[in-house]
Amino acid sequence: MKRTGLLYDERFLLHKTGDGHPEVPERLTVIIRAMEEADLLSKLVAVPVTRAKMTWIEKVHAPKYIHRFEEACMLDLGELGDPDNQICPQTYDTALLAVGGILNAVDMLMEGKIDNAFCAVRPPGHHAEMMDAYGFCFFNNVAIAARYLQLRHNVSRIGIIDFDVHHGNGTQHIFEQDPDVFYYSIHEHPSFAYPGTGREFEKGSGPGFGTTLNSTVLPGQGDEEYKQKIAKELLPAFDQFKPEIILVSAGFDAHTADDMSDINLSTEGFTWMMETICEMADRCCNGRIISILEGGYALSVLPELLRNHVEILLGIKQLQTESERRSHVH
Amino acid sequence: MFIDKSMVKDVVAVGPEMSIVAARQIMVQKGIRHLPVVNPEGILIGIVTDRDLRTAMPSDVLGHAENVEAQRLASIQVKDIMSKRPVTVSPSQTLEDALLMMQIHKVGAFPVVDQEGKLKGILSVRDLMRAFVNVLGLHDPGVLIGIIVKDEQGQMKKIVDAISELDISFGSILVARVWEEGKRAVFPYLLTNNVARVKKHLCQKGFTLLDPMQWCLDQGPGSY
Repeated sequence: MKRTGLLYDERFLLHKTGDGHPEVPERLTVIIRAMEEADLLSKLVAVPVTRAKMTWIEKVHAPKYIHRFEEACMLDLGELGDPDNQICPQTYDTALLAVGGILNAVDMLMEGKIDNAFCAVRPPGHHAEMMDAYGFCFFNNVAIAARYLQLRHNVSRIGIIDFDVHHGNGTQHIFEQDPDVFYYSIHEHPSFAYPGTGREFEKGSGPGFGTTLNSTVLPGQGDEEYKQKIAKELLPAFDQFKPEIILVSAGFDAHTADDMSDINLSTEGFTWMMETICEMADRCCNGRIISILEGGYALSVLPELLRNHVEILLGIKQLQTESERRSHVH
Repeated sequence: MFIDKSMVKDVVAVGPEMSIVAARQIMVQKGIRHLPVVNPEGILIGIVTDRDLRTAMPSDVLGHAENVEAQRLASIQVKDIMSKRPVTVSPSQTLEDALLMMQIHKVGAFPVVDQEGKLKGILSVRDLMRAFVNVLGLHDPGVLIGIIVKDEQGQMKKIVDAISELDISFGSILVARVWEEGKRAVFPYLLTNNVARVKKHLCQKGFTLLDPMQWCLDQGPGSY
């Protein structure tokens, strides 16, 4: 069994989004309850939660934006820039705690105290741009973690895998010129899904050309297409890039039960995908993975999906044999 | 929307006596495909395209200055191969004019000239595309949805009202005219990630959403 860290704190529930908004605190409570019931919490290493230092947030976001966010929460303005980005007075602190916890998970992993980690955080991050909140996201959690790995831990090659059904525009833009951070995303084709970026011809720019890779999936597609694209696009790219650590933007909204997309990935499809990512991590970077929650809004399936996700990280999910998995692909 | 707002004003033009070899170099260097030709007074007298040049000078003789054929080419001037009466537009014509004229004349760019025939700019397919990418709102984060409605007055208001009730901004709205008999397809581009809520709301209001795999903006040549 691997030593898997779990980042969770009840203060992550304090960010409230109001009526009719899918990014609700219950997303986390159902996940944690499911882990409790499956007796997983005792198997996980608790990651402490502290507020992130401003210096690390500023490695990704402009001070002007950070102040605007803080002020909007202090003044209880209700939203940041757009009604998608609902805020309450606690949102800013919650976002800082989420980042701080993630950086603690990074430290623990780099110091060898854990093998991998899952961060059950809110608010999500991958749509957040340097200067703007978008799509329920305020601080780009995964991007700040990557910058922290570069600057604090001198990691020279970082792989990011984003399987949220929406393209992580923020993460892509932040690293599109950086040849040392490989951003891979698989998502619903941008002509049919928010935010409209992540087209297959977007491959990075300048020195970062070639270390951005987007796989797009059409409405109605699911397991078959994910398996093909991950096998043909992600795996060869990462085997060649050889990341020293993999950060996962783990969104669960591609599930067929989630009405935020037209994609029909099954529970087994998610399991296959995470097992494949973990196997690759074992091959290329000693299994070092930090998985960070992004989207996923179907409260009915989140418990099972996240229980599986964490069991896979722990290495205790009943493994499919290679031949069973092959027969699943074809 | 007038052409002078979208055209390239800093237009690269050449004189009629320039050799076609030099003209080709300019095109390659500047990454352009149309060179308006002007007289010393700046009056447009023709246009050469990269296709005209490629027809006049097969690529296998390029780069061989000692070659007899290359020397012959160097003596050909722009005025010998240019189109002498190109279709032009004026700065006060509109983008819609240009779009429809491109369909009719099957060209990729129009020199823009004033009443005296003086070259003021050039408007190419690229400029139109840039304008329409902007109009579609493609650079704003958002999501397209497809609704099918009866082809009758008042439908757009109902859609806009229903979506506005949710406090959601529009990036653009497209209407596809050629659909099934008596119907239109409306495609609002919405600046929100909360698409599930919009879809649910529209269904509750009695709208019919289109399967994204069936979306189309037109049905190919010959359908009009």
